[in-house]
Amino acid sequence: MAVPRNVSLALFFAALTGVGLFTPGFALLAVNQHLFLAVNVLALNFCLGLGGQISLAQAAFAGLGAYGSVLLHALFPGASLLIAPCVVLGTGLLAAALSRPMERLGEGFLAMATLCVSLVFTNLVLTLESVTGGSAGLMVERPLALPGIGALGGDKLTFFLFLGLLALGSYVFLTLRDSRLGRALAACRDDGQAASSLGIDRAAVRSLSFGLGGGLSAAAGVVHGHYTGFISPEQFHLELSLKALLFLVIGGPGNLLRPLVAALVLETAMGWLSVLGDARTLVNGLLLGAALLAGYWRIKK
Amino acid sequence: MLALYLAQIINSGLALGAVYGIMALGFSLIFSASRLINFAQGELLLLGGLSIMTLAGVMQLSPLVALFAAGAAGYLLGRALFATTLGLTLRASPLRQLMLTVAASLVFQGVAILAWGKNPLMPPRLLPIPDLRLGPLFLGRDTATALLLAVVSMVVLGLFLTRTRLGRALRATSQNAVAARLQGVDTVFCHALSFALAGALASLAALAVGPQTGLRYDMGLGLGLKGFAAATIGGYTSLGKVFAGGILLGLIEAALVLTLSGEFKETATYTLIIILLVIAPREHDERP
Repeated sequence: MAVPRNVSLALFFAALTGVGLFTPGFALLAVNQHLFLAVNVLALNFCLGLGGQISLAQAAFAGLGAYGSVLLHALFPGASLLIAPCVVLGTGLLAAALSRPMERLGEGFLAMATLCVSLVFTNLVLTLESVTGGSAGLMVERPLALPGIGALGGDKLTFFLFLGLLALGSYVFLTLRDSRLGRALAACRDDGQAASSLGIDRAAVRSLSFGLGGGLSAAAGVVHGHYTGFISPEQFHLELSLKALLFLVIGGPGNLLRPLVAALVLETAMGWLSVLGDARTLVNGLLLGAALLAGYWRIKK
Repeated sequence: MLALYLAQIINSGLALGAVYGIMALGFSLIFSASRLINFAQGELLLLGGLSIMTLAGVMQLSPLVALFAAGAAGYLLGRALFATTLGLTLRASPLRQLMLTVAASLVFQGVAILAWGKNPLMPPRLLPIPDLRLGPLFLGRDTATALLLAVVSMVVLGLFLTRTRLGRALRATSQNAVAARLQGVDTVFCHALSFALAGALASLAALAVGPQTGLRYDMGLGLGLKGFAAATIGGYTSLGKVFAGGILLGLIEAALVLTLSGEFKETATYTLIIILLVIAPREHDERP
């Protein structure tokens, strides 16, 4: 009973739109956190699903987006239309540049290297206390604002901003996957040597997918940073990267919807688990392990 | 003044480095045998150390018994880790196996939180080793313990790997699993053995690191990461080189502590790891 892709995509976004329209604003607070994570899962899907490159640096890119946008807004209030694209583009370029020398690394080594990128970001934010506020965090004074429309904020509007990012990301993802470039990326993923011998410039192609992923994460970070009104290194800690990777692996890298659904459903379930108190870490671990094993047994059959 | 600084760097660097070295040995064992990077390595140390601490609380442990108990506890932990991660998913993609060790590290952390709480705990010193003074060099008792433990376990491990049948089987598995299987080696058992040995090494390291810094539920990732970096510096194949990688990393970090602030030290260390990973020589391209 395979559902056509367009139908399932339409159902997914219609369901989310319904959630956004009929849920009272305050209840969207938690949902928005899950959506932020889902956008990061999608961003990681560009690197891992298309290019076959693992990345644990997603949190750093989201953090760069948030800190970059908030700090620039403090300098130039009201210039959102200029700042947001610049921050996204800058982070994307940085991600692409970072990925170039790392392209040769295998899976595990790339995981470690990108994990270090996340840690470097966190520690840099902590070190540059005069600019970033260090571990105490930073109050966000200026909202995102569009000329003519005014400030973009509030639970509902943010929900639809995230949803828009998700839709845009999905569109780019699908278009890229079915293009010549996407097939080049798939070749790199499945057999690097064969791809090289076909004349594909692996480093260049993959840095593009890495950069797109970094840019999308940064965009999520921009929205998230202005939404919460307060940013601190903990929001963009390694845990975010690990979660994104876990949900992507659970849903299967390369699939579009499955990881997103996994992220939203499991993250909501884990949110309910907060009543467990100290037992939460253990149950989280068991839940994720079970999801990973279930996925493995499903594939094996 | 400079000499004092240097002595300080060498003392704390060797203490750190010996622990990194032991962790790196465990990393390399698992990595060579199964091409898997074990994210739960630090948690093996954590749970091993905590169990020994509890054991020492209920009964008097002589140093030899403590060593044996730590080894045994780690061995069991390693086996348990294997049975719940790689043992279940031998044919899965490396990525899924890697993520399973991440989930396992969460589970181990959760157990530590539930059983021992979130506050740092100070285990007692179980190995009575005095301060050492070698000419101008002063080694505190923690440093001496760590170094002694590391060197002894490295020598024992080396003898095991080169002189026993089982050790040869383990090395054969890591060199070419298919060929080893054709020769009648039980490669799955060898994978399990590599996890168990890594667990034992981590638990022994806990005897050295526990009294220095205390044991806390979230210490695992940092230690595991440093162990991984040390193993990368050492190149995974030779015990001596891997251990030297640990010592080198420890000394670099100790030197950075004295010259830079805490967080900046972390930034510098992790940047260094990235650079090392990128420029490290690779014999063949098939490293996972």
